[in-house]
Amino acid sequence: MRFRPGKIALIATVVVSYLFLYLPIVHIGLASLSRNSSFPYPPHWSFATMSRLLGNSLYQTALGNSLLLGVLVATLSTALAGAATIGLMRHAGRKTTLFLALFIAPLFVAEVLLGISSLIFSGLFLGLQGNLGSAVLANVVHCFSYALLIMATQLYRYDWRLDDAAMVFGATPARTFFEVTLPLIWPGLLGAFIVTFIMAFNNLEISFYLLGATPTLPSVAWGALRYGVKPELYALATCVNLVVLCVLAVMFVLMRTGLATFGHRPERERAAV
Amino acid sequence: MSYISLDGVSKQYGAAWAVDRVAMAIEKTEFVSLLGPSGSGKTTLLRIIAGLEKPTNGRVLIGGEDVTDLPPHKRGVAMVFQEFLLFPHRTVRENLAFPLRMLKLPKTEMDERIDWVLGILSLRGLEGRYPNQLSGGQQQRVALGRGLVGRPKALLLDEPLANLDRELRQEMEVEIRKHQTALGIPFIYVTHNQEEALSMSDRIAVVRNGRIEDFAPRAEIYDRPKTAFIAQFVGRSNRFVGVLKREGATAAIDAGAVALATADRPGLKDGAPVAAYVKNEKIRLRTPETLHAVGANALAATVKHVILRGPYAEYVLTWAAGEMIASRPRAEVEFSAGDAVVAHWDPADVDVFPEKEAAA
Repeated sequence: MRFRPGKIALIATVVVSYLFLYLPIVHIGLASLSRNSSFPYPPHWSFATMSRLLGNSLYQTALGNSLLLGVLVATLSTALAGAATIGLMRHAGRKTTLFLALFIAPLFVAEVLLGISSLIFSGLFLGLQGNLGSAVLANVVHCFSYALLIMATQLYRYDWRLDDAAMVFGATPARTFFEVTLPLIWPGLLGAFIVTFIMAFNNLEISFYLLGATPTLPSVAWGALRYGVKPELYALATCVNLVVLCVLAVMFVLMRTGLATFGHRPERERAAV
Repeated sequence: MSYISLDGVSKQYGAAWAVDRVAMAIEKTEFVSLLGPSGSGKTTLLRIIAGLEKPTNGRVLIGGEDVTDLPPHKRGVAMVFQEFLLFPHRTVRENLAFPLRMLKLPKTEMDERIDWVLGILSLRGLEGRYPNQLSGGQQQRVALGRGLVGRPKALLLDEPLANLDRELRQEMEVEIRKHQTALGIPFIYVTHNQEEALSMSDRIAVVRNGRIEDFAPRAEIYDRPKTAFIAQFVGRSNRFVGVLKREGATAAIDAGAVALATADRPGLKDGAPVAAYVKNEKIRLRTPETLHAVGANALAATVKHVILRGPYAEYVLTWAAGEMIASRPRAEVEFSAGDAVVAHWDPADVDVFPEKEAAA
């Protein structure tokens, strides 16, 4: 039984799938780290483009703005979506599905449309000029729905009667949240925070319309396109990808070990009964 | 003035009344069970006392204070839940310390209290474990300990033994009652299990469709059921349906193949359709040789199965109009399958109710 066509086909499919997913990213990574950046095979290693990128003050300002945008959007949308998710799950009723549908509907609106309509709305009704603030608000609309979905999948396992227990034993609602609810649901909140951070950090379509003259990394990269694709752009893409991959890795490890250490698995507890 | 009073407490969900005009008065040293089938509203009633549900109407008084509008954390009661609901991210010790921390007790007193609870519930050595590292019985003990450690005004127990196996349950029944007596605080115990209610309680409130069917000392609930529902739900009984005939100081029930004699029931009209209940253990058996007559409260039957219950045996009998069960101590004459017997009982052991109520 050495030759097993099924297994070989399976492995081939997996390999092709991963190549399809990651080859372009790896290509840009190689291009940004070699002198022969247009066709880096084999690569001649060099940090020239990287150092040119780091010396560019426009990119530095853009990075700062992107980080600020990401953190603000992630904080706001995680807090809002957390409150919404807890409300939906704690007080589940006949209308829960309707509320949920209305909360996640913005996911299905094209980002460009969201950008344009937010621009008009901010200008006409809120009197907001295009700046970081209006970009944060518009991004929160989109990220809120993602955060809600992520938290809902995590929180459906939480047994809300634990809150009842805490309150019967003398905990105020606030104390109940910080002593019982939060320690058990934080992986969901952290996951939502990280994903929304990455989304806002990388967002172009929504931010583009609302940023005004404020540069962020995606908008600067997009602007650079008009003057030809420069190697600095490769370096920028690689840096962003590295940061994102690091954040995802941290999240992965935290979720794994966090769950294993704290051991909040309702199904396991029931099995022990 | 009783220690805990419920005054016309009702709870409405949509159009349905889960709890309907309940009035109860519970004394300070009493063990009270709320006994009823699932969906009868007994758990809702318990949650109203705890403050986890707000009654639509009525008042709740604990220790003379009206707590109807107080949130659960200000009521000073504790609860033991069916699913235990221990905090999974806290060790046994931290779970037990939780109510004490909320009371802001000094450290030395906290340690004393925890040590006391670990001792009386034989939990020493498990302080550092997490709930998912405990067996069901141990989790149950921690849940009970968390209920007792804060010395609450009352302990509310919501089917706390439903997830344990039979032997452990019987052990815990004795233990729970022991702690109640020692602490001298009221325990309110919700269960659908009549054995649990009968083994621990001083008084039992039978709950049905959100209402208290009867609230009386346990022996009274068992021996003199006030309604057909209680007769059916508490204990195991044989049911006979017939027509009541009043004859002076006694009454007779013509149930077709058998006639039942009973004390007079002034509340029931002559000729009224009635249901009569006779508890399994009140049915006595004789051989046909020693008791011939098939008169009132006696019928000829054949033993179909014998179910051995250790100290007593249950005889499944077939007779002219169907099946019935008699349970007898094994110290008496034993019968085996196929034996012809005469089943008979005392007029005083016949509980009679209007048939309309029994059918509901």
